Amino acid sequence: MLKLGHRELVDGLPLVMAIVNRTPDSFYDRGATFAEDAAFARVEQVVDEGADIVDIGGVRAGYGPVVDADEEIRRVGSFVGRVRSAYPSLIISVDTWRSEVARVVCGEGADVVNDAWGGHDPRLVDVVAEHDAAIVCTHTGGLRPRTDPHRQEYDDVVGAAIAATTAYAERALAAGVAKESIVIDPAHDFGKNTFHSLEVTRRIGEMVDTGWPVLVSLSNKDFVGETLGRPAGERLLGTLAATAVCALGGALIYRVHQVRETRDVVDMTWSIAGRRPPLRAIRGLA
Amino acid sequence: MTRVALVPGVPALLPAYSSLEDPVAPLRAACLDAVAWLGPAPRVIASAQGSRVAAALLDEVASEAERRAVDDVAHHPGVLVVGNGSARRTDVSPGPFDPRALPFDDALFAALGGPDPAALRSLDAALAEELWADVGCFGELADLLGGASLVGVDYDDAPYGVQYWVMRWRA
Repeated sequence: MLKLGHRELVDGLPLVMAIVNRTPDSFYDRGATFAEDAAFARVEQVVDEGADIVDIGGVRAGYGPVVDADEEIRRVGSFVGRVRSAYPSLIISVDTWRSEVARVVCGEGADVVNDAWGGHDPRLVDVVAEHDAAIVCTHTGGLRPRTDPHRQEYDDVVGAAIAATTAYAERALAAGVAKESIVIDPAHDFGKNTFHSLEVTRRIGEMVDTGWPVLVSLSNKDFVGETLGRPAGERLLGTLAATAVCALGGALIYRVHQVRETRDVVDMTWSIAGRRPPLRAIRGLA
Repeated sequence: MTRVALVPGVPALLPAYSSLEDPVAPLRAACLDAVAWLGPAPRVIASAQGSRVAAALLDEVASEAERRAVDDVAHHPGVLVVGNGSARRTDVSPGPFDPRALPFDDALFAALGGPDPAALRSLDAALAEELWADVGCFGELADLLGGASLVGVDYDDAPYGVQYWVMRWRA
């Protein structure tokens, strides 16, 4: 059983988490949904396309102008409340590493805190626990928020990701976060070069074997771009190939830009793996 | 009195072939009600594949038994017969369209509804095979229906170009 804030998910089926950026500078959409109404239109669109979760972010992951906590709260705080009012049953995640931001958005009705920076703020788990919310525990190889890897190496990148994310999960558990509300994420490209991200993809089943539900964030990332020689706008097929591999390995949540395409690939792969019945099969069975 | 029910041998009714959205939901509901009406442990008359469908329905009814109200207890064990009409009725049927399929099914339905055991016994087995109709057990059904009365036609449709009936008799 998975419990993401107000929603309990008992069927074990994979979930699509749609990225909603309230940022002027994120790498893929380049500010297309920075304005509040544009971000809200994006929420409407991804819900219509079948997203189970929206992941609202107010700070670009990569380098860029400083966004302090007050500005981040201005971007995502009341917006979460607006989405909650419009979609009472939607699972709302917020992409933040700051406990002060998490406190505001949980108060506005967020279900999940997606800490892409691996527990940089030690008080984050306490806020998540106080609000009975869920947390995503990522592996960043020790990088500070908004920094890129430089000559970072691992003896065993998957072993390192498992050790870091499960340690973070245990820390969340100890802080009082419900066991079924803790998700781990190897964090492709965070603290990882392309070879690392490919290996994490190939060995995702080892993370699944930890027993913690696994989230993967693959969408249009540089490891896809470098592998295929494609710029950000041309990485969908590569992303979907990685998605299928992760789905075969049993990853449960997919954080993505393209909802409809991901939904089909993940559902198809889960059905191939024998974990999801076909939607409606009658051919040869009538 | 013996209760007799007919259901079609539709593989989509098997748990191994279940979908997220049931493509035969109304048929399944009618089958389960009819099987429940038979009471516990009915005798099954079916082909090998039909027997698997019957077993699945019996299992489902058994697992639902607590929330099903049984109207009255049958004095004799019921009989569950598995069979159906033609699978060549339309352009989208599993088998290619055959214009003889509809009249064949109409005559068969009339014989079942009567019931008319003599007409059931005199079914053209070769034609039935050509029309992909599953009537191999209808001879035994005819033997059961002498003096029987029709209780109800619970399902009479061909949603995928195969004629299904769920029918019940008291014999």
